[in-house]
Amino acid sequence: MFEFLDKFMPGILESLLPRASSYAVQIDVLFDVITILVGFWFFLVLGYFFYLIFRYRQRDGHKAEYISGETHKQKQAIEIPHYLILVCDVAIIIPTFLVWFNIKIDVPPPDEEVRIVAQQWAWTFYHAGEDKVLGTEDDIVSVNELHIKNNTQYSYHLESKDVMHNFSVPVFRLKQDAIPGRVISGHFKPILEGEWDIQCAEMCGVAHGIMGARIFIKSEAEHNAWLAANTPATSDTGTLAIVNQNRSQEKKDRNNG
Amino acid sequence: MKSNRSDAGFYSSKRILVALTLFVVALASSTLEADKRGEQLYRNCTICHGPDGQGIPLQLAPSLTSLSEKYIVEQLKKYKAGIRGAHAEDTAGLRMLPMAQTMITEDDMQAVASYIVSLGSSPVEPTLEGGDPVKGQATYATCLACHGPEGKGNDLLNAPSLVNQHDWYHLDQLKKFKSGVRGSNPQDITGAQMRPMSMLLADEQMMKDVIAYIKTLGN
Repeated sequence: MFEFLDKFMPGILESLLPRASSYAVQIDVLFDVITILVGFWFFLVLGYFFYLIFRYRQRDGHKAEYISGETHKQKQAIEIPHYLILVCDVAIIIPTFLVWFNIKIDVPPPDEEVRIVAQQWAWTFYHAGEDKVLGTEDDIVSVNELHIKNNTQYSYHLESKDVMHNFSVPVFRLKQDAIPGRVISGHFKPILEGEWDIQCAEMCGVAHGIMGARIFIKSEAEHNAWLAANTPATSDTGTLAIVNQNRSQEKKDRNNG
Repeated sequence: MKSNRSDAGFYSSKRILVALTLFVVALASSTLEADKRGEQLYRNCTICHGPDGQGIPLQLAPSLTSLSEKYIVEQLKKYKAGIRGAHAEDTAGLRMLPMAQTMITEDDMQAVASYIVSLGSSPVEPTLEGGDPVKGQATYATCLACHGPEGKGNDLLNAPSLVNQHDWYHLDQLKKFKSGVRGSNPQDITGAQMRPMSMLLADEQMMKDVIAYIKTLGN
């Protein structure tokens, strides 16, 4: 539905910043709908006020008239625009609920997961690694760099170490508060390869303005190459440790035998 | 001819005098400007390090005033390049990482370092308990080569002063060096020098002992 509506919209946000997530189009359409409807009334009312100021300006031989606004015709001047604005409100509320449901409620099952930890004034990203499970030895930890695979459904788990932050990725049209003591989960699906900005969108202290990071959206092959190059060696040493343990156990068994 | 020559001499010496005066004024104003620049830049640091540069424990910020200009500049360069403070577990370092970006040039770093040193060093409140300075003195023998018998550091060896520094900060840094949170970046050459030294401190008690001894050096 939003893809269809998008064909008739001016694409205000997209003209400023590309869309890099699957749901960016929905936010953009909603933004356009609100801008058009609110803008229409804003300019109409502004024009009408200027017309009234000019029409009823002070002139010789014209006396000011006090209107109590009690007759039906006088009331209509308020009633008609009032009902029209209510119609516009409904036209805004319906897509708003739909977008909220699509982004916040109807969470698709993830292909990959990423843990995001905000602190004054940096972002730490825990990539699940090749096993696609967070909290394991092959997790790749990076500061101020998020590496993700294009056309893949991600689930993120957002935390804060200290104060409130906001994980904002403008190309995703995503803004999510990070609240200390809570893990807030959400999702995104990147659809456009490239390197983009991540920023903090909640005042968090003196360096809030420079609390930036970069998001790298790569093709599957490029992302896998990055994974292979950055997977920590600990998993190997872990395997080695197990091998050595087995060897020492073997030795012990042999000695006992 | 003679008179002309003497006039020429008079004018040339006058020119030299004017040039010298201008040079001195320019030098003085540039020094003053550097001081002002340092003071101005340091305003960004006051929130964590305090207006007197003594550090604020709640902000995990150490005292800066006992450090040398060279050491401060070197550390700022490291933070700016992401050589220090870019480890995911270095909470305090990650706070400093973006702040170093406010120093645009090396002159800025020099100016702020010079201003910090001008603030003057003074002792800070002890917070750690249970350290034995007598045991710590024996352990300090290892530190002595770089940090000196009085703990005042040695710029030639890139060793910072340890006196008038918060004891919790010393403990924190020793733990960070030991675990590799600090000094494990391949580009951190001076950090790599300190890492093996921190390995010699077997446990927290040994760290507390040596810190207790360092405290006595400041008195």
